[in-house]
Amino acid sequence: MQLSLTINNKPTVLDVEPEMPLLWLIRDEAQLKGTKFGCGKALCGACSLYVDGDLIRSCSYPAQLANGKKITTIEGLSENETHLHPVQQAWLEVQVPQCGYCQSGFMMAAAKLLEENPNPTADDIKNGISNICRCGTHPRIIKAILLAAKLKNDGKRG
Amino acid sequence: MENADKKPKKGFSRRKFLAISGSGVAGTLALLYFGRGAIRRKISDVTSEMDIPADVSNFDHKLWFEVNADNTITLKSPKAEMGQGIFTGFAMLAAEELDMAVEKIKVVHANSLNGLLSNTAASNSTSSFYVTIREVAATLRETLKLQASKLWNIPVASISTKDGMLTAGDKQLSYADLAKQITKWETTETPALRPSSQFKYVGKQQKRIDLPDKVLAKPIYGIDTTLPNMVYGAVLYSPYVKGTLKSADTSGAKNSTGVLKIVEETNWIGVVATSRYAAQTAVEKIKAEWDYNPNVSTKDLEKLITVGNGKEVNIQNDGDTDSVPDEVLTGEFRTPIGFHGNLEPSIVVADYKDNKITLYASFQNPAYLQTSVAEALDLKTEDVAIVPTYMGGGFGRKAFKSNAVEAAKLSKAVGKPVHLLATRQQEFQNGYVRPNTHHVLKGKVGKDGKILAFEHHLATGPMIFNSVPAIAETILGADFILAGHGARCAYHVPNVKTTIWHNNLPFETSIWRGVGMFANTFAIESFMDELAHKAGVNPLKLRIDHCDDTPQLVRRKKLLEIIGEKSGWHLPKSEGVGRGLAVCDDRKTVSAAVVEVKIVDGAIKIVKVIQAIDPGKIINPDGIRQQVEGATMMAISASLYEQGTVENGQFVQTNFHNYQVVRLSDTPEIEVILHEGSEVPSGVGEPPLSPIAPAIANAIFDLTGKRLRSLPLQLVLQNASNQ
Ligand code: FES
Ligand code: FES
Repeated sequence: MQLSLTINNKPTVLDVEPEMPLLWLIRDEAQLKGTKFGCGKALCGACSLYVDGDLIRSCSYPAQLANGKKITTIEGLSENETHLHPVQQAWLEVQVPQCGYCQSGFMMAAAKLLEENPNPTADDIKNGISNICRCGTHPRIIKAILLAAKLKNDGKRG
Repeated sequence: MENADKKPKKGFSRRKFLAISGSGVAGTLALLYFGRGAIRRKISDVTSEMDIPADVSNFDHKLWFEVNADNTITLKSPKAEMGQGIFTGFAMLAAEELDMAVEKIKVVHANSLNGLLSNTAASNSTSSFYVTIREVAATLRETLKLQASKLWNIPVASISTKDGMLTAGDKQLSYADLAKQITKWETTETPALRPSSQFKYVGKQQKRIDLPDKVLAKPIYGIDTTLPNMVYGAVLYSPYVKGTLKSADTSGAKNSTGVLKIVEETNWIGVVATSRYAAQTAVEKIKAEWDYNPNVSTKDLEKLITVGNGKEVNIQNDGDTDSVPDEVLTGEFRTPIGFHGNLEPSIVVADYKDNKITLYASFQNPAYLQTSVAEALDLKTEDVAIVPTYMGGGFGRKAFKSNAVEAAKLSKAVGKPVHLLATRQQEFQNGYVRPNTHHVLKGKVGKDGKILAFEHHLATGPMIFNSVPAIAETILGADFILAGHGARCAYHVPNVKTTIWHNNLPFETSIWRGVGMFANTFAIESFMDELAHKAGVNPLKLRIDHCDDTPQLVRRKKLLEIIGEKSGWHLPKSEGVGRGLAVCDDRKTVSAAVVEVKIVDGAIKIVKVIQAIDPGKIINPDGIRQQVEGATMMAISASLYEQGTVENGQFVQTNFHNYQVVRLSDTPEIEVILHEGSEVPSGVGEPPLSPIAPAIANAIFDLTGKRLRSLPLQLVLQNASNQ
C-alpha cells in the first residue's frame, strides 16, 4: 500500500504493508534509527513518536493509520543540532543517559509532558510518564525534566 | 596501599587478546585436576580474589590509535560501551599520558580487523585497563617524540609535548602534522607511567563523551546497523524450556509476502524476507510441534533448589561451628529466577561472503561470538570478523548465547547481509536466567554481641557452566565462582562454614548483574540484622565490631562509619519510616546502603536511599554516581517486583506486562557518597546493586517487626497481610 506522510516536515511516499507497525516504517523504510524497539507491545515507550502531535507508541500503531499525517520523531524534535530542544539541553546538562537506548522515547514523552504541563512537579513527572529504563536513569530523568521546564519557560520570557 | 603503577610482567599478543575472556576461569579449571575437597576450598579462596590479567606488550599503535588530520586522536576501545561510561573513562586515562584534552580524544569500538577485543563483564572495564590504557597512550606519546627527534635530528629528551603539540626550542609540530610525515613507525619501549599525583583529569568531573550522540539519537546501536542489500530475518524457537522441534509445517510461511528463504534447523526455523514485518508475519504462519516436559513448574524448581538437595561442596571452613554452645538462630531465605530485561534485545547483523563472515553485534563477549559462529558454520576463527557496537544494555544477558549463529546461517542461505533482532518474548523465553536460590543461615551470638559462629548453606543453580568446558561441572562440583560469589562470610567470626548445594535447573542459567552477590548478600545481610536484634546490638555496630584489620574489612568498617554518620543512622526517624542497612564487598569495591521505607496503601514505598561506595581510585566521579543510581533502581526493581516463574514447561513471563520493573513513580530520593579507599580502581557497575534488597528487608523489619525472607519483598508482604 502506498502511504503519503510527512516525516519531520519532509513529505514522504512509501510503499509498505498496511499493517506493518509504524515503527518499522520509520526505522527500516525511512531510515530514521532514533526511534527504538523495546517490547513491541506498547509497554516500554522506547518507540514513542508523535502522529499529528499526539504521543504514540509506534510499535503498536499500524502504518496505514499514519497515511496523510504528520510524524515527528526524535530526529525532528530540535530545529537542528545546534539549537537543541530544551529537553535535550537538559538531558546533556544533567547527564541522563547510560546505555541511552530508552532515552529517545523518554525525551519524546518529556517534551510532550512539558507542552501539556509547562510547570510540572516531580510527582507530575513520576505519574505522567510510564516508559521503561532498565539502566536506572530515573532520578536524572526527573531532574532533567524539571530543568527543561525552567529552560523552556526562561526561553519564552527572554 | 597497592601499587597501581607497577610495570606489567607478562603480556599477550593480538591473537591471544581475543581469547583472553574467561582465561582466568580456564586456568583455574586446569588447577582443579589436582584434587577435590580441600583443594576446592583453596580454589574458592583464590577465585574470590581473582584478578584478570590486563597487561600489554608487543605494542602496535595502529591496534589502539589513529592520529587524525584535525589533530584529534581516535582510541579503539577493546571494551564495549554498554552504558557504563567506559569510553569516557578511557579517554580520561589516555589524556593523562597523551598530553591532550579529553575532548580531543575520540573513542570508538575496536573491531577484530583493526584492533583488540576483550570481554565486557564483571565490572572490570576500568580496573583491568587502568594501567593498560595509560601504557599504550604513554608509548604513543614517546613514539611520536622519537619520530620528531629523527625529523629534527635532535635528542628525544629535548622534545616536550603539550596540548597535542611537540615542541623543541622554536620548533613546533602538531601530532597530526608529524604523523603525516612518518612513513615507517618505529615504536619505543613503554615508559614509566606518570604517578597519580600528577593526574590532570582523573578524579575530576567529566561529561560523558558518548552522550551527545545518545541525546541526538544517532544510529550507534547494534539494532541500527544497516548494510547495502540488507534483508531481515525472524526465527521460530521453542516456547518451552528445553523444547525440541518435533515437526513443522512451513507451507504457509513459504507463500507469505516478501519471503526469500526458509531455513529449517534441528531446533529452530528461520525466515528471511524483504522486510522485518514480512519475516515476522511468515514466522507466525509456521505450524510447529514441540517435544517438551510439561511438568516443569516453579514449585518443583524450589524443591529442587533446596539446601540438603544435590551435590554438596564446602567452600569455607574456619574453626568449628559445632563447637559453640550458645543457642542457634536459623534463618531461611529464597530468591527467584531473574530476567535481564536489557531494553535492546539480542541483535546481530551477519554478512556472509566467500567463506568469510562479518558479525555486527551488540554483545559483551566477542570471543564467544567468534568461536560459536566459526564452529557452527565450519569456518576458521580468523574468518569470522566481529564488529562490536554500542549496546542498549546487557546486564549479563549479552555475554553468552546470542542469535549470531542463526543470523550467520540465514545470511549464508541468501548470500546477503541479514538483520536479526530477537522479539521481547524470545528475550524472555529463549535466553537464560538468573537461577533461583535457597539459603539457610545459622548463627550464634554471645551476650557480649560477639558472633561466635556463622554458617551459610546456599542452594543454587549454576551461572558458570555455559562459559567453561563441560568437564568443569564434574571438577568444580558446584559453581562457587559465580553463583557462589558473595556466599562466604566476609566478617571476622571465629567459626565459619559456607557450603553450596548444586543442582542444574531444567533451563539455561547464567550471569545477571552482580552474579551470586545479589542473592547471597540478601541472605547474609538480612541475617546479620537478625543476629543484631537477637543480641540487642545496633545493626551498624554489630557489623563494625566484626571487621578486623584485614585490608578489605578495614575499608568496610570505614565505609560503615561514613554511612552511619552521613545517613543520620543514630538520629530519630520520622513517623512511619523504617530504616535498614546493608553492606557488601564485591569486585574489591565496598558498597553500603541505608534505605528508608514507608508503607503506603499497603505497599512498600522506598522513600530514600543513601549509597556509600568505596570503588578505590575514582576516575570519573559523576560516572560512578550514575552507576550507583542505576544499580539502586535496578535493585529496587529486583527486590520489589521481579520474579520469573515456570508453569507447564514454559516461562510464564513473555513481556513487561507480566515481568514488572521499576518506573519513574518508584524513584526515591537517592544520595550517593563516594569514598576513595584505595589507589587502585575497582568495579562499580555491580557492587552497589547487592546491598539494596537486604537494606529494604531490614527497613521493613524496623518498621513493622515483620521479617521478609523471600524476594520479591512486596508480594510476600501482601500475602502476609492477607493471611
Ligand atoms: S517498543 Fe513500543 S512500547 Fe515498547
Ligand atoms: S539508559 Fe539504558 S535503558 Fe535507559
